[in-house]
Amino acid sequence: MTPTYYLVLSAALFTIGAVGVLIRRNAIVVFMCVELMLNAVNLSLVTFSRTTGTLDGQIMAFFVMVVAAAEVVIGLAIIMSIYRTRRSASVDDANLLKY
Amino acid sequence: MSLSPYVPIAGMFILAIVFAVFSVAVAPLLGPRRYNRAKLEAYECGIEPSPQPVSGGRFPVKFYLTAMLFIIFDVEIIFLYPWAVSFDALGTFGFVEMLLFIATVFIAYAYVWRRGGLDWD
Amino acid sequence: MEELHLPPIDYAAIAPLLLVFGAGCVGVLVEAFVPRAWRYRVQVPLLLAGLVAALIALISVADKRVSTAGGALAIDGPALFLQGGLVALGIVSVLLIAERRVERGGAFVAQASVVAGTDSDRRQSSQPGATEVYPLTAFALGGMMLFCAANDLVTMFVALEVFSLPLYLLCALARRRRLLSQEASVKYFLLGAFSSAFFLYGVALLYGFAGTMSFTGLREAAAEAGSEDTLLFLGIAMLSVGLLFKAAMVPFHVWTPDVYQGAPTPVTGMMAACTKLAAFGGILRVFTVGFADINLDWEPILIAVAIATMLVGAVMAVTQTDIKRLLAYSSIANAGYVFTGVLALSEEGVAGTMFYLVAYGFTVLAAFAVVTLVRDADGEATHLSRWAGLGRRSPLFAGLFTVLMLAFAGIPLTSGFTSKFAVFSAALGADQVTLVIVGLISSAVLAFPYLRVVVLMYLSEPAEDTPTVSLPGVFTSLALVIGLVATIGLGVVPGPVLELAEQASSFIG
Repeated sequence: MTPTYYLVLSAALFTIGAVGVLIRRNAIVVFMCVELMLNAVNLSLVTFSRTTGTLDGQIMAFFVMVVAAAEVVIGLAIIMSIYRTRRSASVDDANLLKY
Repeated sequence: MSLSPYVPIAGMFILAIVFAVFSVAVAPLLGPRRYNRAKLEAYECGIEPSPQPVSGGRFPVKFYLTAMLFIIFDVEIIFLYPWAVSFDALGTFGFVEMLLFIATVFIAYAYVWRRGGLDWD
Repeated sequence: MEELHLPPIDYAAIAPLLLVFGAGCVGVLVEAFVPRAWRYRVQVPLLLAGLVAALIALISVADKRVSTAGGALAIDGPALFLQGGLVALGIVSVLLIAERRVERGGAFVAQASVVAGTDSDRRQSSQPGATEVYPLTAFALGGMMLFCAANDLVTMFVALEVFSLPLYLLCALARRRRLLSQEASVKYFLLGAFSSAFFLYGVALLYGFAGTMSFTGLREAAAEAGSEDTLLFLGIAMLSVGLLFKAAMVPFHVWTPDVYQGAPTPVTGMMAACTKLAAFGGILRVFTVGFADINLDWEPILIAVAIATMLVGAVMAVTQTDIKRLLAYSSIANAGYVFTGVLALSEEGVAGTMFYLVAYGFTVLAAFAVVTLVRDADGEATHLSRWAGLGRRSPLFAGLFTVLMLAFAGIPLTSGFTSKFAVFSAALGADQVTLVIVGLISSAVLAFPYLRVVVLMYLSEPAEDTPTVSLPGVFTSLALVIGLVATIGLGVVPGPVLELAEQASSFIG
């Protein structure tokens, strides 16, 4: 097994996610990009778990999934409430806090 | 690394694609064409289609609530899998710990239930 | 199948953690089963009792130095000291959060997602606020305590999220200026999630490098590898991004002023005091236990970060016109001073850092307590121009705020002086002369905005619309007294606490 391919794929996914966070406007899409980053990390963790022959990485992947789910719930709740009051989920419209 | 284990999978993929393209392509040629109102509507398992949002693509907020609750309780269960696999080895301690874990999940569940998170309307 | 060998757990050592998390869980059950009218009266004593019990438990295990739960938690000197600081600051934060006299129904709204300005929103303006804030606070504080004791990367990541997620929600619950509050929350959430993704990628790379998640294992692997491993370097860099974000260090500080301004003021106080303390607890452990042996390689970058933080925080604070934003930038600069102590990389530095964090926490909580009191018809009057003449209208509170500002500026006989002295002398002891010089310049610059507020309060005539200082309720008064006593006390007799910090300054590996 060559771990390099998996690691490169994981790095690519992470980068796509990071770029997405920086350039997308819709808060929900930004948030999906963050989730993509977390899942890219999961791929790395599982790969490293295989290369180092330890189980810690797989355990960590479980924790990442659970934390990501909790983050989804918190995020959707916050984005939903701001959408209700503002009728828009664009992060560009959130500009009251500027001086 | 030998590719031979993947040959049947590739064959399966090709078969699936050929079958899908073939059936979609051949259906309008062979089948009879008799349109009526019911056929043009969206198919929702045979029940009356619920009204679609006018501007397109917006779902009622309560779907979000349901989705949020589903995700959180669905994913919590992830920890049951490794525990179940090594249940025998973990013994009583593991069992008690898992009971405690489930109890904490149920604390959250009790909150959702009492505060009306499960009511549809 | 054979029995697995289960790691022993020292329940006495983790009792404080269990008590705080337990208070949170019981709080959720209270929300579920206690009638609405009773919730506030049950929640506040419950949470305070939980925190006091945790403090007693901490004192009773103060001499413990163990690594427990299979090495996942290190209950050592710094962990216990920081946990004690967190619980003490947490109690003061809870007092501020629980205040309901100053604003009718408290600083929090009952249902944050009700559209502002509608009928149902006007109805809830007279209703008491959501009592969910108490369990959320308990979970946040518990997560921070866990973060300070985390001895491997898994625990650290989970703890990071456990204290971040409740904070994101708490930020969105302001009663007044709800749009600002929700916007702050969205910003904090998106940037926080972004930074924790970086933290996590760093964790994955370090794990790939060392094959273990524990800090001890990491240190051994790093010492063997020398400094030429890409995985190790990238891993440290990305891990640091996540940690520095939480500690609000430049260049990961941009969220701070927005979030501090938008969040309900008691929550802002808690973030400035407790979150900062927890973040530095994690940073101390990572850099002194995890990567101590390869410090020469990452030190120049971190020194640059510290210098940038001190300068940007101080200079930006000068230009602010809003008191909450001013305090936010001042907290950024203070993070720079604290980091100076971390970079001393000595036990003296650890002790100084811990003392600084606790002393600063009490002062900043008291300062935000005063901010909650200066109000007009629209809620808190945070614009600095509105504070003009406040000294003549309410001399007592203006005097109190002046003391706090002088403490921030580092005048002798206040905790600001002793704590700065502690970190800077530790840095000097480690030959970090540049850092100390920049720190002194930055403190001098930062004294200007503080003194400007003081001058503004006393030397201007009160205008027609100068806001009044509301009479604080029991909770806020108590928080103010505690904050003031700690500020003066740690300035005049810093000895006992400093000694305690020194005794507690060595990590177990």
